[in-house]
Amino acid sequence: MPRPNLYYEERMPSPLERVWLEFRRNAFAMGALYLLSFIIFLSVFGPLLTPYGPNQQFIDAISLPPAWSTAGDVRFLLGTDELGRDMITRLIYGARYSFALPLLVVLISATIGMLLGAVAAMTVGVKSSTLKHILDVLMSIPSLLLALVVIAITGPGLSNALLAIGLVMIPQFLHVTRNAIHDERRKPYVTASRLNGVSDVYLLTMVFFPNIVRVLVIQFTIALSVAIFDITALGFLRLGAQAPTPEWGSMLAQSLEVAYVTPWVMALPGLALFLTLVSVNLVGETLRQAIQKQLEQ
Amino acid sequence: MTRYLLRQCILLIFTVFALTLFTFCLSYWFTGEAMTNSSGLFPDHPDYADAFAARAFDRGVVAQYIAYVQHLLHGDWGRSLLDGAPVFEQLKVRFGASFEVIFFVLLLAWIPGVSFGVLAALKPGRASYILILGCSIAGYSVPVFWLAQLAILVIAVHLGLTPIAGQINPLYEIPAVTGSIVIDIALAQPDNLSGAYLSALQHMILPIIVLAVMPMMLLIRLTRNSMLEVLTKNYIVASYAKGMSTRRVVWSHAIPNAMQQVIRQLGSLMSLLIANTLIVEVIFSWPGIGNWLVRSIFERDYPVIQGGLLIIGLLILVSHVLLNLFHAWRYPQVRKDLYASS
Repeated sequence: MPRPNLYYEERMPSPLERVWLEFRRNAFAMGALYLLSFIIFLSVFGPLLTPYGPNQQFIDAISLPPAWSTAGDVRFLLGTDELGRDMITRLIYGARYSFALPLLVVLISATIGMLLGAVAAMTVGVKSSTLKHILDVLMSIPSLLLALVVIAITGPGLSNALLAIGLVMIPQFLHVTRNAIHDERRKPYVTASRLNGVSDVYLLTMVFFPNIVRVLVIQFTIALSVAIFDITALGFLRLGAQAPTPEWGSMLAQSLEVAYVTPWVMALPGLALFLTLVSVNLVGETLRQAIQKQLEQ
Repeated sequence: MTRYLLRQCILLIFTVFALTLFTFCLSYWFTGEAMTNSSGLFPDHPDYADAFAARAFDRGVVAQYIAYVQHLLHGDWGRSLLDGAPVFEQLKVRFGASFEVIFFVLLLAWIPGVSFGVLAALKPGRASYILILGCSIAGYSVPVFWLAQLAILVIAVHLGLTPIAGQINPLYEIPAVTGSIVIDIALAQPDNLSGAYLSALQHMILPIIVLAVMPMMLLIRLTRNSMLEVLTKNYIVASYAKGMSTRRVVWSHAIPNAMQQVIRQLGSLMSLLIANTLIVEVIFSWPGIGNWLVRSIFERDYPVIQGGLLIIGLLILVSHVLLNLFHAWRYPQVRKDLYASS
């Protein structure tokens, strides 16, 4: 598209744009991003694409191998499980439980945590580094353990697992946001804006936010990968999503008994989970490197 | 160093205080009576009235908390609601089993992780970079429960190289004293000592390898990144200029300095490893804390949940502080003790 601007003006891309330009140079990371978009597409439009229901049983097709093997049936592209349910349908429905729901949960807790963190940083309360150190150490307790405790209080179930993960994520976002704002607080541009007499809201949204958004993006990808892992791990331990739900973790747990006879029932949900986690982590890592490179310039 | 030591100790005390406060509150948050949840005694138990007074449940919340901590220090962590066994006795054995796995995993991950990381940094280039990044992201993201299932299916079931689950062949009748199977065999001295060790090794090898994948890949990447950074420093150039051999530069200048970054990251690696251990123990029926904790959540065995949570939390906090201390002791610039001032 030709630029409407006639003059050869040097247009400086914004920090986030520069990160994106750097990110696009990595082919693997772009592939991972496309894969993630595809998974989001599947989790939104999955029911329109699948011919069967996730819990629909076919008595004539129990434990069929994938279609390319000689014993397979082309009606069931990736085979069926021990109850005659179509694997690919269950996998597509599982994307909702194992990717879309954690994504939503992380989005919600990121919003809450960032708001609280911003408020905590702006109303400079406890300045001492003691609180920061204590929080640092307490944050090192793995989120899965805390989620286990929340589930011990509320009882097993998918909604309780989601609640647990959401609750556990909020303090992490709070901590990261607060620290990021704290680190920027003394920089000259902040002082300049303060001298201009801007309001606190303006300071937060227009001055701090563009400069700390990179940290938050990284924290978001980390939290997303942790949330996906935790939800599926809880499903696998049978503390999260319960039996007929086509969540990848609980599908893995159910496949434990038949893994010897029908290995694809175990391999496929795990592979889907593995690819999702690899994509999320690859995108996160590439973002981190792109930001690192930009900071060094 | 003394000041740093004191500060870390105070930090530890505060965090442990927060942790015990949390576990104390849990007995109120769980359904049912707080007294039963924290002591494991039902109201119809003959000792109930005594324990009720000893745990100060007739007085205020602060007195209750103090009594709770006193009970913890005396090793009275309540009784399991399920079988009435004292939690602390069980915990000691379970902790030994878990700690053994974590110890061996770190041992297995540390040596190849660091050496491959150093090698990768000494041979820079696009191919090695992509290989390292690919391996480390794959190793970091592979869900540990799926990897464990695949390992069991391929190595244990199809190839039949190792047993599927458990700690040792039960025919050896090793009594669990410390929980750590290697020490227990040494204590029990069975007739067929080498056979017992072989059986223990066969049972142990699969969970340890499955657990070691993630820390090893992370260590390779961390070591490589930090080595690359160190190798561009002036003192490395100066050492080469003095005519030192590459071997000496790497061994006595580059590696010790590169380790500083790695040790700093080791704390978060520990927490990840402990979370993974919880899951893998369930899969391999390893008689450790994770297995016990997950089972107790199913069975709503509240004193056990509290005890298990407390011990894992303590393990993480203590290892964190110990790592900090080691880091500060080894690298004075961390504790800002420059010019040997103390």
